[in-house]
This record gives sequence, C-alpha cells and structure tokens, in this order.
Amino acid sequence: MQRTSRSSRILAGSFALPLIGALLAGCSSTGTSDSTAQSKAPVTGGTMVYASGDAEPSCLDPHVGGNYPQALVASQYLESLFTKDANGEIIPWLAESTEVSEDGLTRTITLRDGIKFTDGTKLTAEAIKANIEHLKDPNTASSTGYLAVGKVVSIDAKDELTAVLKLSAPDNALLESLSMPWTAIESPKALERDQSTNCTSPVGTGPFKVDSWEHQKAVNLVRNDDYVLPVADTKRTGNTAYLDGITWRFIPEAATRYAALQSGEVDVIDNAQPDTISTAADSGFGHLDAPRPGSSNRIELNSSKAPFDDQRVREAFIRAVDANTGVSSLFFGTAQRSNSLLSSVEPLAYSDAALFTTDTARANTLLDEAGWNERDEQGFRVKDGKRLSLRFPVSTNQSVPAEQSLFEQFQAQAKAVGFEVKIDLLDLSSWYGALAQHEYNLVSAPYTKVGPSVLRVLYHSDSTVPAPSGYFANNAQVKNEKLDKLLVEAEETNDDAQRASLYEQAQKIVLEGYYVLPLYDQQNHFLYGKNVHGVGATTAVSSPIYYDTFLDQ
Amino acid sequence: MSRSAKIFSTIVILVWLLMALAPSLLAPGDPLAINPTEAFQKPGLAHFFGTDESGRDIYTRVIHGAGDSLAIGLAATALGMGLAIILGTVAALSPRWLDEVILRVLEALYAIPSLLMALLIIAFTGPGVGPAIVAVGLSTAPGYARLVRSQIRNLKNSEMLEAATVLGRSNWLKVRNHLIPNALKPLMALVTLGIGQAVIWAAALSFLGLGTAPPAPEWGAMLSAGRVYLHLAWWMSLFPGLAIVAVAVSATVIGRALGGKVKSL
Amino acid sequence: MGTIAWAGRKIGGALVVLWLVATAIFIAIRLIPGDPAEAIMGGPGSQASAEALAAARAEYALDQPVFTQYLLYLGKLITLDFGSSYSLKQPVTEVMGEVLPNTLWLSLLALAAAWLMALCFAAAASNAGRFGSWLGNLLEIIAAAVPHFWLGAVLIMLFSSALGWFPAVDNGSAQGLVLPVLTLALPLSGFLTQLMRDSLSEAMGSQFALAARARGESRLTLFWRHGLRHAALPALNLTGWAFSSLLSGAVVVEAIFARPGLGRSLLSAVLARDIPMVTGIALFSALVYIVVMALAEGLERIINPAGEQR
Repeated sequence: MQRTSRSSRILAGSFALPLIGALLAGCSSTGTSDSTAQSKAPVTGGTMVYASGDAEPSCLDPHVGGNYPQALVASQYLESLFTKDANGEIIPWLAESTEVSEDGLTRTITLRDGIKFTDGTKLTAEAIKANIEHLKDPNTASSTGYLAVGKVVSIDAKDELTAVLKLSAPDNALLESLSMPWTAIESPKALERDQSTNCTSPVGTGPFKVDSWEHQKAVNLVRNDDYVLPVADTKRTGNTAYLDGITWRFIPEAATRYAALQSGEVDVIDNAQPDTISTAADSGFGHLDAPRPGSSNRIELNSSKAPFDDQRVREAFIRAVDANTGVSSLFFGTAQRSNSLLSSVEPLAYSDAALFTTDTARANTLLDEAGWNERDEQGFRVKDGKRLSLRFPVSTNQSVPAEQSLFEQFQAQAKAVGFEVKIDLLDLSSWYGALAQHEYNLVSAPYTKVGPSVLRVLYHSDSTVPAPSGYFANNAQVKNEKLDKLLVEAEETNDDAQRASLYEQAQKIVLEGYYVLPLYDQQNHFLYGKNVHGVGATTAVSSPIYYDTFLDQ
Repeated sequence: MSRSAKIFSTIVILVWLLMALAPSLLAPGDPLAINPTEAFQKPGLAHFFGTDESGRDIYTRVIHGAGDSLAIGLAATALGMGLAIILGTVAALSPRWLDEVILRVLEALYAIPSLLMALLIIAFTGPGVGPAIVAVGLSTAPGYARLVRSQIRNLKNSEMLEAATVLGRSNWLKVRNHLIPNALKPLMALVTLGIGQAVIWAAALSFLGLGTAPPAPEWGAMLSAGRVYLHLAWWMSLFPGLAIVAVAVSATVIGRALGGKVKSL
Repeated sequence: MGTIAWAGRKIGGALVVLWLVATAIFIAIRLIPGDPAEAIMGGPGSQASAEALAAARAEYALDQPVFTQYLLYLGKLITLDFGSSYSLKQPVTEVMGEVLPNTLWLSLLALAAAWLMALCFAAAASNAGRFGSWLGNLLEIIAAAVPHFWLGAVLIMLFSSALGWFPAVDNGSAQGLVLPVLTLALPLSGFLTQLMRDSLSEAMGSQFALAARARGESRLTLFWRHGLRHAALPALNLTGWAFSSLLSGAVVVEAIFARPGLGRSLLSAVLARDIPMVTGIALFSALVYIVVMALAEGLERIINPAGEQR
C-alpha cells in the first residue's frame, strides 16, 4: 500500500521474524547487543509506553483506509490468516491449511479450531466471509485491503472452519495479501456495529486488545488474557503476553520523541532518525531494524511527459546525481544503497548496480545527444526555447528530513549538469493533488505490500488509469506491453521457478528503461530503552508485535 | 531619540541593506554549494557558523537568507499597512453605518486565529514566498487598520483640520496632506515592530513546512531543517534563530527610538 | 451608556462578527483545491469507487449549488450542529470537547504567567536605576522577539535532555506543563512588559503622580495605587489579541511538546481538508476571542470608570 508515514533505514541481514521464532528474536536483530534478553527471564507486568512519530490514525480499524501507522498499532490486537516465518516464507497463522484448485480459481482456507475474538465470538469461516466482504464494501472506504482482495469474487463457508474463495483469475499473491494487517481478521459481530464505533474499538484475536482511545493523547491497549497462540510454542510457558498493557502515544516531533526516550518517559519509539540510530548502542538503547516489504524507496521519473519522455534524458538525470555518497553521509551508515525496485526482504528482488553508477560525463553526453545542447544565462539547458525544468513534489509526511536533504543534494548535482529541479514541499493532501494532476516529473512514493506482486501494482499499464479519487500507483507511467504480460503471467503461474524468472525479466525492463532511481529500503527503525527486553518479533509487513516483550520491574 | 539610539539604528539598517542587497560582500561563498564530506562541521575558522547536513556553510546561508526573510517581512508589513490605511481611513471618515460595518469586518478578521488564516491561504495557493507575504500581511492588517481609524477620528476634530477647512482646502487635500500623514506618525514605530513580527511569522510558516521552497536559505526553513539535528549539530538551529531574533530586536529598538509606544494595537 | 445597553450592543455586534467569520471560513474552504468528497472517504489516495464518492456528495449536500450549501451551513450552525469530522467520523463538538480543555488550560496558564512576569518586570524596571532600566528594556525586547518553535526546542534541550528537570512530553503531571507554558508565555510577557512600561512611565511621570510624591507617598505605594491601574489598561486592551495569538502559538507548542489540543486538531484538520473540524475550531476561536475581548472591556470599565479615551 502507499505509505503515509515516515520511514527509516535498513541494516543488512535483518528481516521479519514471526512469533514462532520469537524466542530467538528475543534480542534485537542488529549488531547492538542486548545480551540481557537472552540471559534474563521474562517477567510479567508493567505497561510499556510506545511513542510513534506518525500522525495519529483516524481509525483504529486497518480495514478503513489502510496505512502504516494503522498497521503498527493494529498488529497488537489483530491477527491475519497467514504470516511470514524466519525465512520469509508464507505460513498459515489463523489459518491451519490452504489449497488451491488446478485452474487457480478456487482457494480453500481451513481455520484452526479453538480461537476466539476478545468479544467471545468464535473464529469461524463466517468470519473470513464477513471480513473480506467488509474490505470490498465501498462504505468501508478501504484502499489497501480492497486492492489486496481485488480478485476475490465470492466467499462461501463450506463448514464451520472451512471457507471457499472464488477468484476472477489465478492469484498466487493472495496468501501474501492475506498476511498483512490491512486484511486482518476482526470479529464479525464487531464489524456489524457502525463504523465510528468500530474505529475506536476494533475487536480481534491478538495478544492485546483496545481498551480506550483518548484522541491525541494515547491509544490504551491491555493484555488479552484469553489469547491463544495459533501455533503452539513449547518453549513458552503461558499463552498470554507479559506486558499488562501498552500506552500508544503520538509524538510527531523527532527531537521531542527522542528526548522522551532519553529521559525514560517512553520505552519504545519508531521513526528513529538516522543520527540517533548510529549512536544507539553508545546511548544504551536497543535497536530494531525492520525494513518494510514491497517496493524500495525510489524516485520515479514521469515518462509520460517531457522531458522524461526521452529515455536519454532520464538516464542523464540518474547518472548526474550521486546517491551513494548522499545516502551514506545523510543516513549515518544506517541505510544501505539499494539498486533494486523491491525491498531487500523480498527474495525475488533483482538489482544491477552498474546501471546506476554516477557518471556526470555520460550525463552531459546524453543530454547533448538528446538535443539539449544550449544553455541559458543561469546555466540551465534549453531546447527550442524551453528550459530543462523538472518539478519534484515532496511530501513532508512521507519523506524524512534526511531524505529531503538527499533530494536537495540531487537538486544541486543535477544543476551542475544543466537540469533545473524545483522541489515543492507539500502536505499529504496537496501532494496527492499534484500527482493526480500530473504536475510532477519526479516523485518518491514508496509502496508497502508483501511480495513481488507489488510490481504489478506499480508498473502495469492499468495502474496509470486513475481511481475515482484521481489516484494512480504507476507514477513512472510505464506502459510496456511486454512488461504487462510478464506481470500478469507472474501472478497466475503455479511454478515458483517460473514466477521468479518472470519477475526478474520484469524488473530488468523497468530498471534498464531508467524509469526509476532506487535509493534504499523503506526504513523502519525502532529504538527502545535499556529496561525493555524481548523486542524483535514482527508481522509480515515488518511491524513489531510486543507479545514477547517484557519490562524490567 | 537619543544619540546612541540614532547611531545604533543607522548601523543596523545599513547592515540589513548590505545583507539583503549585496550579501556576497559579507559572505563570498555560494550558499547553495553542497559538500557532503564536510557535513556537520562545528563552528570554527573554516566555517564561522559551522556546516549543515549537506556540508553547506551556515554563515553564508544566514547572510544570503537575509534577503528572503527581510523581503517577506517588509513586503508583508507593506501589504498590511496598505490595506490598513485604506480600511482605516474609509472607516474613520464614513458615515456611522459604514464605519460599523467595517469595524465588524475588521473584528471578524481579527477573530480568526492568524495561523488558521495563513494555513487556509496557503492551502489555497500552495506554499511559497508570495503566499507567505499575503498570509502574514492579511493577518496583521486588521490591527493596524483599527489604529489608523482611531488616529484619524481623533484628528478629524483637530485644530489643524479646522484651520485647513477655514482656508478652503478640499476634502481630498485635507485627507492627503493632514489626516494620513499625522495618523501615520505613531504607526511608523509600529511598522518597524511589525516587520520584526512578520519575519518571525514567515519563519513559523516555513517551520510548519509551508514556506519557501528548498534550497533557498530562508531562516525559518533553516530552523526547521536544523531542529531534527538539534542534539547533534546545535549550530544549525542557533544561528538562523539568532538572526531572526536580531532582526526583530533591532526593528523594535528602531521603532521605539522613533518614538513609538506599543500602546494600542 | 448604561451597562445593559452596552451589553446588548456587544452581543449584537458579536453575532454579526460570528456570522462574518462563518462566511469567511465557508468561502475560504470552498477555494481550497481538492474534492471534499475525497476527504470524507478517507483522504486523498483512497480507492473510493465513483459510487461511494457520489454517495458521499449527496449525503453532505456537496452536489447542491453553492448558495444552497451556504444556507444549509448557516442553518446548521444556528442549531449548533457542526456535523461530523470527515477524518474521525465523530461529531465535531465531541472531538473538540475532548481536546479543548487542554488548549484552554494551556493558554490561560500562559496568559497568567505572562501577566505575572510582565508585572514583576515592569515594577522592577520602574524601580531600577538607569542601567537596570536599559537592561530590562533590552531583555523585554529580546523576549518578545524569540520565535515559539525555536524557544520550545531550546527549552527541551536545556531543561529536559541536559538537566532533566522537566519532562519533554505531556505525562499528565503539572511538571509537564512548565515548559510548554513557558514557551508560550515568554514572548508574550516581553510584549506585555514593554506595553506596561510605557504606560507606567507615563503614569508615574504624570501631574497626579508627582503631586502624590510631593505629598510623601512612597514609590511603591504609588505604583500599586496609581501606576498599576494605568499600566494594566493597555495590557488588558490587548488581552483579546493576546489570547488569540496564544491559540495560534498553541499549534506550534502542542506539536513540539506532543500535547493534545485544539492547535494540533486544527493543523491536521486543515491538512486533511476536514471542513467540519476547521469550521468548528475557527468559529470557536472567534467566539473565545469575542468573549475575552468583552470581558477585558468590562474589566477596563471597572478599573477605569472615568472612561478615559483610548
């Protein structure tokens, strides 16, 4: 889904860890030592205070809308049918097993027995039906979940625990789609309430439940004392979470948020700024690095209008800027340069660093070849009286300060080669407006989704067709028939090897067409105090679950 | 005004003019030149005010940013004063009912929190220098307008005016030569005060992300960029902040030296 | 003029002003680009279908001609129906009710603190010698010139991160109020002090004061009985404006210190194009301003029954 929150950076070698591998993940998944976690025995009790740098969601039900801040909080009280294991494989979670018909049009999901929602309702196949219908219902106004179950035509409850889904076309990305918090399973009885009530107290099966929501102050979560771990873990004594509850606060100011962590007013923060991450170990803080799945953070070049309708000009821009230096200096070594369209947690990510090496000489040559060989008094290139000017709307919501600075560096470097880059800092609504009006040549719009099927969302020509709201996901305006075929086939095939090959070919087309300048993974960094242990388990979208977390008493 | 105040004011105004019109004299470097390897340098001999996250020299940026920030302050105040003079004069000299109407309109404008007004204007126009000027100007106009109005009302019945009437001067001449200049005298001081406030306001808008576009070295934008690195590179925030305070302070001092008393707004 | 007649005039005037504000907001919001139906359906980038958007438009009467919408809007306001927030799907009055006390409390405390500081400063300055007076002058001016957002960050760094005396974010305690109140109050106090000093020096230098001194009254007594009243008047006069500017300042302060409040709601409402919320907050601010102005004027009349011309 399109991200509407801040991002941070990745460190190599970290990936999403499920609850099953939870005990292993008792320590943070980076080099910072949290040796106390392994030696310390978990204690029950205490309320953890979490401070998010994102905007407070307007609805706690991630079916409505569907952005990352919602996923972060909903991961504590909602669970999905599937999730990812330590190797990045999709495994059943609330579901017990699943199978698909030969023609790929019928998907059967069998649920585990004995799981209850916190309002007492039992988890049955009817719940799957109710939830998917909720997602598809226009009144719910779901964006992410709606797209995820786009190919589901009907759901029938064959028996109490078995649901049969009929699809409009084969969809080998369906399980990945059903592993995200935006398609999590809520109590059907709760879904029947009016939306305003369900937004303030969604009911799920997770290790915590929503106790109350004081607007702009905090969402108060309490332990679900009837929690049942879908996959039994013999190493764990007791089913329930260790924490009594979590106070989920929103502190948008990065400096204030970090100050609160330093003073101990809060225990865990997200959207940690790069410089604080690099000094985390020295400050005694734990660090969880969980890059988000889906696309990488990248700049897309609008190929549907001048000057980027000419591939030479696109390549010239990409060769003119120095992303490697900028990324390493502005992110203090906490983000690694990515040359791929996909997040590094996606096994099928393909990259070719040679395509993106900085080469200002080549940039100049390409621009000369493309006819932009005159310059005006300010040094910008002109052709037929028109200046080589690029508009770059930047959302202050999506782009962290370090990223904004990176773009400013690109602006200066592109200027040296003759590009005029105009950066517009916009709020989210205005930014979407600019995109919908095609008033952009460059844009950075990360998309979080589990699995390589995100490539179809981003690069299939259908995605250039705007939704009624004016939104379209294919910002690079790639319209390539061969690519379209590859992407559709890749989602329909049953053969894993073929799927991998098709996606690789698809990525090559986009990368070699210089439609995109990949930068780094979608950053997702969390810092936590010395008194916090057992942080590390995450969902398939890399949002942490605090089931194994405990505090020093 | 006292001698020291006169000297101080003159020096300050000269420095401002220099910074705004010929910044290269005070800071010969390029405010936009990035140098990633020199990022986050502490203040020192090579960089008086240190460098920012892209290695740009902060001293150079502060000096070159003066033009932007001062321009916004001056333009916004000019806009506000212009509107105020028109509205205030009309209100003071019109029949009672029109006066009341204008008063109510002024109160309504006054009642809307200035930030809200600025946000709405910028939501409509998009961010930038122009919208910032309009936003700040519009929000300061009502206050000045009320002052102009009360000044002119007081002067309406003054002896000078009676003398002019006796001498047969036309109404328009009376307004132009007597009322407006005399009403404006106490305002001059307020105007300089206002310039200081306008600069702060424009910086606040940049701080909220609604101001000038990068890479312009506008002080508010620099403060906004610096606040993320406050504990790492305090100099990124300190010097633009000091510049804003310095402008506002010197504007106030000049204003008070001109005889202004912050008596009524 | 009799008090009742005065009050009547004030109320009439207030209603007119509120109507003007409501109209201004209505116009301003209509001018903002973007489809309100989208904002209703969960913001930009939503996948709302054409039918859903059409349904939203019909429900909120967005497909009616503008003048009809205006009349409907006024009608609802008269019955105090502010509608439901587009983003939060809750009645505006409810949401405002939740966060309003915080902002009011913060603003009132800041106003009180600013007044207190200004009075002390003004009193001290009028007693101090030439140098003290000059220094005080400079300090006031500097205080008035400090931008909120900068001050807040600096205070957090100093008193929270470095010294650890006060918490950076709101934790419900009184301590959590200190830094935000100080951030709001300091610039205002600088301004108020300057105001008071001018009036104070005028008052203390007046015929009345000189005569009293000649009679042997001490400076302090004179200050309390005579100077204070004169110093307070212009400051009172400005209180309406001061309160309104505090509300604006609250937007920044609430963001920096992560405090719930009207300021934060306002910012996010404008950004999300949440028309009912923006309207509700704007009208409420206008109302508060009017009430505070009326109170200040009333207080002025009490302190200064002689009706000194402004």
